[in-house]
Amino acid sequence: MMAFIRPRLRKPLGIALAGTVFAGAWALRGGDAWQLSVAMEVTVLVAAITTYVRAGEDSDEGALAGSRADERQKMLSLRSRALGWNFAMIAAFIGITVGVAVQATWSWPFLVILAVTGFAYLLGLSNYGVAEEGTADDTDTGHQAPSPASS
Amino acid sequence: MRNRVREQRTQREMSQAELAAALGVSRQTVISIESGRYLPSLPLAFAIARFFGLTVDKMFDPDEEETGT
Repeated sequence: MMAFIRPRLRKPLGIALAGTVFAGAWALRGGDAWQLSVAMEVTVLVAAITTYVRAGEDSDEGALAGSRADERQKMLSLRSRALGWNFAMIAAFIGITVGVAVQATWSWPFLVILAVTGFAYLLGLSNYGVAEEGTADDTDTGHQAPSPASS
Repeated sequence: MRNRVREQRTQREMSQAELAAALGVSRQTVISIESGRYLPSLPLAFAIARFFGLTVDKMFDPDEEETGT
């Protein structure tokens, strides 16, 4: 489906869609939450427009925002996301530790974050090739190969 | 690792943007490769070498340190 959407529009549309869903969730709460929902929707639309404008810039950030990143820019994005993941893990660990120390009931979301990030890491190892090590070419299979020098 | 991308490009009087367009990468990536801050992937290294009509080991020398921009 993404192939039908112009690269420059992909991220802005993603931001607008995700933001609208979140703003809609606030609107569903009822009461005065609709005011927050409207403010949130305006913010999201501004963010989407800003991303679209940035996507036109001749820069690494522009290429990433415009979904036209080359291998170096993709690697930059990947490393940044990995850094974010590390920070999330550390923050979740600190959250659980503090929660346990003060006997808090609010520490379970940290446990969920830690579990999800840990599981995602294992999934990544599995998906990206750890299980493809195979057998080494020179593994001793029990068959004696004749040496060319001995014949 | 030293490379001869800048040297080859300037010999051909090409701009970084022109080389980037020819290789299908961004201008920023060409700048990073030339300055030695980014080592290209093997396919990109081959593409660069082929573009300049050289072999990869002529284009990229692992024994020489980059001296900066």
